[in-house]
Amino acid sequence: MEAAEKSRRRLFLAVAGIALLLFAAGAYYLKGQERVLRVGIFVGSNWEVPHGNNYAVIDAAIREFREDYPGIRVEYVSGIKKEDYAEWLAEQMMGRKEPDVFFVLSDDFNLYASMGALMDLSDFMEKDRDFDAGNYYRAALDYGKYEGRSYALPCESVPALMFVNKTLLAQEGIPMPKNDWTWKEFLEICRQVTRDVDGDGALDQFGCYGYTWEQAAVTNGVVLFREDGRASYFADERMESAVRFMMELRGIRKGRVVTAKDFDMGRVAFRPFSFAQYRTYKPYPWRIKKYTDFEWDCVKLPAGPSGSNTSSLDTLLVSMSARTRHPELAWRFLKKLCYDEEIQACVLQDSQGLPVRRDVVLFGKAPDIFRKQAANVEDMDMATISDVMDEAVMPPKFKSYYAALLYADTEINKIINGTIPFNNSLNKLQKEINAMLQY
Amino acid sequence: MGILKLLWSYNALIVLLLSGFMCITQTKISRSMGARSFLEQVPALPLPALESFLLTLFSLALMMTLGWIYRNSIHIKARWRLLVFLAEIGSCVLLMRSINLSYDGIVLLVVADLMDRYGGKHQEYILVAAMLGLYFISNYNLAVFQMKVVPFEAYIAYYDSAAQAALLAARNVFISVNIALFVIYMVLLVKGKHEEKERIRLLNEQLGEANKRLRAYAIEAERMAETRERNRLAREIHDTLGHALTGIVAGLDACILTMDAAPDFTKKQLGKIRETAQRGITDVRRSVKKLRPDDLEKLPFREALVRMTEEFASSSGMKINFTVVGWPERLREDQEEVIYRVVQEGITNANRHGRAKNVNLTIGSSEGRLRIIIADDGTGCEDVKQGFGLRHMKERLELLHGTLNFWNDAGFIVEAEIPMNQEEHL
Repeated sequence: MEAAEKSRRRLFLAVAGIALLLFAAGAYYLKGQERVLRVGIFVGSNWEVPHGNNYAVIDAAIREFREDYPGIRVEYVSGIKKEDYAEWLAEQMMGRKEPDVFFVLSDDFNLYASMGALMDLSDFMEKDRDFDAGNYYRAALDYGKYEGRSYALPCESVPALMFVNKTLLAQEGIPMPKNDWTWKEFLEICRQVTRDVDGDGALDQFGCYGYTWEQAAVTNGVVLFREDGRASYFADERMESAVRFMMELRGIRKGRVVTAKDFDMGRVAFRPFSFAQYRTYKPYPWRIKKYTDFEWDCVKLPAGPSGSNTSSLDTLLVSMSARTRHPELAWRFLKKLCYDEEIQACVLQDSQGLPVRRDVVLFGKAPDIFRKQAANVEDMDMATISDVMDEAVMPPKFKSYYAALLYADTEINKIINGTIPFNNSLNKLQKEINAMLQY
Repeated sequence: MGILKLLWSYNALIVLLLSGFMCITQTKISRSMGARSFLEQVPALPLPALESFLLTLFSLALMMTLGWIYRNSIHIKARWRLLVFLAEIGSCVLLMRSINLSYDGIVLLVVADLMDRYGGKHQEYILVAAMLGLYFISNYNLAVFQMKVVPFEAYIAYYDSAAQAALLAARNVFISVNIALFVIYMVLLVKGKHEEKERIRLLNEQLGEANKRLRAYAIEAERMAETRERNRLAREIHDTLGHALTGIVAGLDACILTMDAAPDFTKKQLGKIRETAQRGITDVRRSVKKLRPDDLEKLPFREALVRMTEEFASSSGMKINFTVVGWPERLREDQEEVIYRVVQEGITNANRHGRAKNVNLTIGSSEGRLRIIIADDGTGCEDVKQGFGLRHMKERLELLHGTLNFWNDAGFIVEAEIPMNQEEHL
């Protein structure tokens, strides 16, 4: 009897202890349920160009958001550099302290999406009546997808253009290429400008600098990797013609390595340029400062025989934390930042990227802003850029993409340089890459 | 059991050590700018260090409490106990999850708890099912959570290679010691169960011995009762018939002497002798009546038979089918008694020696003979030794010029035949 009494009392104590623990856990969770929305953002441009007004876009978004929702405070930590941002975000993630809404670097996107750290936005996008994903450029929107679900919205994008040294072309009596030019024209101009100007026996004027086989592949319509990153298509015949094109291009300059210095000295006709670089260097003070000796402008990249005048599209993404306490508010802020027409117009005003909404790029204030900033524009206008954006392809971003690309780059450069014979090497490369991708 | 407590405390210690190690490492990683590269290696976000340690503490406490309740729940219904056990399994899964599946030895704790309460009829099936279930749980855990759990190796990778080797070795030692403890526990448990079984076997043997002796005693007692009965009969015969006959003989002797000299006196004497003989007959009748069973005295013979078989059936649990195929018109008392005794002895034998479940008792008369067949479905008898029962039956039947046959078929069959009185048929 006494033993039973004792055991019952111990049982009661145990149950009471568990209840207490549960209560404590609950209290811990409920702690700090204030309405504060935290935003993760880095200082500086995502596009490797100098940047002046770092927080202009986000500040504008916050201002407008507070007008709509006066009771909510939006905070961000300022001063995190882009190179430290990945580590900062990882630490926040590990401590369950990640912001409700945050910018995601391309390298981080797949990692966090696969971990389930990013909120699946597909439902929000479907349910929200004010939201129409069709307003985005496809490549930009798709960049925020992982296994078919949207985990981020694009905030700004940057396509690639072709920088043209107008002074050099004029000296050689070559007209400025049009936006629908082809590899053939590109090769022709390169052949014409590549020569020994000072007569010292070495070539000192060149066709192009920094044009990569990847750009050739994209403009020839090659898709290098399957979407899930498990297979590659290096043996594609369009890839083959891209490599042959690169070999021809190399043949013109007789294997001579063209340097950035050659370019800066105005001795190179073409150089691929990101839109952000264009935006940075085109406006008045910079234009003079950076390239003193020559006039320049941009056109679309030349199209290959099976492709178009397109480019790959780099996109800056913004995500929501899957563990946010205010998913609805976070979604509204995300929408404000990435979808609101005013804020998207601010991207063009205050950042170097392009807005990701087609209607913002084509209509409204954007064309005016663009025209004002980039004086003496001849061939570049918003409609042309919008074309590029529409046709642009999204670069892959699966986990082993960079490793695979690095390997492919080494091998393809060997083919282009003639270190290894062309014959069957792309087939071999495809097999090797595919084997790599299986892990 | 002491070893079970040891097993529990040991596992609790390991779990806390592992959890503590992972939490400290996680904090260190965050402080040393290694978070991004750490996340690169893991398939899921880890819980914050403190949170994961608290979760470990909580689920460990929960599991220990549930295990304790399960092991000590004597007054709780089986259904509730099963619920407690399922909850224990649940908390075990939670605990494994909280330490990132880096240690699965705690599954053995659940098995040990289950074994502790082992007993009863269908427990072995439940046990097998539960073991399989646990096996699946731990594998399912691995399959499902593997993709979402930070592997232990990712934490270890933070340290230099010497430390890594030491840490892995330490974990393996933990696991091995745990298995060793579990095996010891199982051995002790099995040994305990075995000893108990042995004890029960010994007790059974003793019981069998006692039973045997009891049976011998019963036979002895029966024999003694028989002897006593015989003695009583002898006394009765001596007292009644002997007495009367002695008187008659003595009277007749006197009569022989006096018959010629005094015929009148002799006549008178003979009358007295007749009276004595008459009295003797009365006495014999009285004695015989005393020997007759009660039911034969009180009831018509057929009903008495039915009643006797029914009573025997209900007291022994044996089923008796009583079939009558032609009942003789008249039976003498001595015939009735022999039939009664033969039936009684037959079914008693079927029960006692044949351990029969069913007995078919058939009585029929044809061609001036009454036939009694008692067929049982018992074990029968390879080599029939005539005991008192069969011999008595035979003796009684022979008095009436009857016969007795017996043989084995599906069981043991006894057949008795008695010739009916010819004059009655005439």
